[in-house]
Amino acid sequence: EVEILDARTRDKLCFLDKVEPQATVADIKNLFSKAHPQWYPARQSLRLDPKGRSLKDEDVLQSLPVGTTATLYFRDLGAQISWVTVFLTEYAGPLLIYLLFYFRVPFLYGPRYDFTASRHRVVHLACCCHSFHYVKRLLETLFVHRFSHGTMPLRNIFKNCTYYWGFAAWMAYYINHPLYTPPAYGDEQVKLALAVFLVGSKTRKIPYPTRNPFTWLFLLVSCPNYTYEVGSWIGFTIMTQCLPVALFSLVGFVQMAIWAQGKHRSYLREFRDYPPLRSPIVPFLL
Amino acid sequence: HWAQRHRELFLRVDLSDVRNPDITITDNVLHFRAQGHGAKGDNIYEFEIEFLEPVEPKPVCRMTQRQLNITVQKKESNWWERLTKQEKRPLFLAPDFDRWLDESDAEMELKEKEEEKINKMKIESRVPKDPFKHLKKGYLIMYNLVQFLGFSWIFVNMTVRLFILGKDSFYDTFHTISDMMYFCQTLALMEIMNSLIGLVRSPLIPSVVQVFGRNFVLFVILGSLEEMQSKPVVFFIFYFWSITELFRYPYYMLSCMGIEWKPLTWLRYTVWIPLYPLGGLAEAVCIVQSIPIFSETGKFSLGLPNPLNVTIQFPFVLQIYLIALFLGVFVNFRHLYKQRKHHLGPKKRKMK
Repeated sequence: EVEILDARTRDKLCFLDKVEPQATVADIKNLFSKAHPQWYPARQSLRLDPKGRSLKDEDVLQSLPVGTTATLYFRDLGAQISWVTVFLTEYAGPLLIYLLFYFRVPFLYGPRYDFTASRHRVVHLACCCHSFHYVKRLLETLFVHRFSHGTMPLRNIFKNCTYYWGFAAWMAYYINHPLYTPPAYGDEQVKLALAVFLVGSKTRKIPYPTRNPFTWLFLLVSCPNYTYEVGSWIGFTIMTQCLPVALFSLVGFVQMAIWAQGKHRSYLREFRDYPPLRSPIVPFLL
Repeated sequence: HWAQRHRELFLRVDLSDVRNPDITITDNVLHFRAQGHGAKGDNIYEFEIEFLEPVEPKPVCRMTQRQLNITVQKKESNWWERLTKQEKRPLFLAPDFDRWLDESDAEMELKEKEEEKINKMKIESRVPKDPFKHLKKGYLIMYNLVQFLGFSWIFVNMTVRLFILGKDSFYDTFHTISDMMYFCQTLALMEIMNSLIGLVRSPLIPSVVQVFGRNFVLFVILGSLEEMQSKPVVFFIFYFWSITELFRYPYYMLSCMGIEWKPLTWLRYTVWIPLYPLGGLAEAVCIVQSIPIFSETGKFSLGLPNPLNVTIQFPFVLQIYLIALFLGVFVNFRHLYKQRKHHLGPKKRKMK
């Protein structure tokens, strides 16, 4: 049997008898949601100890250290939304918003600029790069990414979209502005920037912890996908010579550095003979 | 009788008055031969055991009057499902229940031993052999002393001038006090450094916010606009800042020296209750008064076209800053209040 209590109040929420020993946590979650339909399985966090870790869906009841009546503690994770939905919205937004500014849709700039085109080549190039970047991300989300959890809390979508869409609008406004100033060092700067940007976009691979590293950056860095991402945006910054883009790169870098440190630490914990020379995101430094 | 741990095996032979024990291990086989008094009387007892997995060929024996204890080291740290290589248990071999542990209990025993070791190491390292300890203390005491003197000078000066000149002292406060205030607030950057390098145990972010907030008002708003410098609000800002610091720095100084003067502690954790919001209010008034001037002069504002491809409208930035200021004061107020309860609440408490 399985008994489910609230992790905070210790109220008895549900009692499931006739649960097979081979049942997984996922099965238990399904049974629980039948009794409490407002808590669908993705929202449930079941644990053996109120302050302990959440149990994984694949865990089998038999393998858990419980007696004949298992006591599980429940925590409501809040309304959930699937990762794929969040990512698609996050990335589609900047793609479209940038294009709105690029084509100078009415009400963004003065009426005499509506639907005009910029006379700088770099602005067209920037639009291609920016759009390419987000199209790539959308395709990756649809076909490549594999996520460990299917969902995330609902409020994340608002937070993330505000961030991505806000910055996209802020950047796009200045880059596509009629009074835009192209890079100080002209074509050379743009060529260099484009090279950096492409390098950052091409070699990005999503690392799985068990896969053998192919690219050389894996030798130096735990999370090369983040390194390349930052590289791309630095390239874009140099290309457009636009302060908002620099700020976006900086904020992104800080966020990714924090994530990379976390991943690095969990790799160190998981793999005993982890190469000591590797750093989380910037080779040798960070 | 036998028992095991992850790294070793325990064998016990119940023989008393053991004489001429011959215990060797060759080719992973333990040869035991001894004369003693056992189950079948006084005799020569011998047996052989081939171990399941390789062991170190150096058994350690301890003899007591009634038994022989043999400890054998396993070559590899493993949990054996049985002692002997052969599947059938030898008739003379039985589990030693006195020393028996199953695998998970043995693991726990190991873990406990590890923890004990770690605790011992921690206790040893808690006595910090810090050669710079006195230097650090001296530096902190000096820093707090200098700041205290600076702010006392400011406070005394402003009070005296208030008595002598009355309201007129408001208008040239900046002119007389600013140099010392610049000095003290620039020096306050060290406070951030102290927190950053761990010299002081207070959290980094509140001190960054406070120092940044004050310096922003001092250097950006007041320092760059002459028109603001002759406004009366400057007097209030400086006065509120200095009174709060009059209590904060001596408190820190004494706590560095390990002295606690209860009245001072009480003052330090109480005086901010009226002063902190008042200081925030004065700063807000100052910013509000400065916004029209920044709009008019366009100072610190950046318009298109420019090489950075960004526009900065400083009055707008200041308006956002005002909102942040109120939020910050509110959040910090709660934090300070909690701190106050922590320090003044319980009767006997070790100082942080």
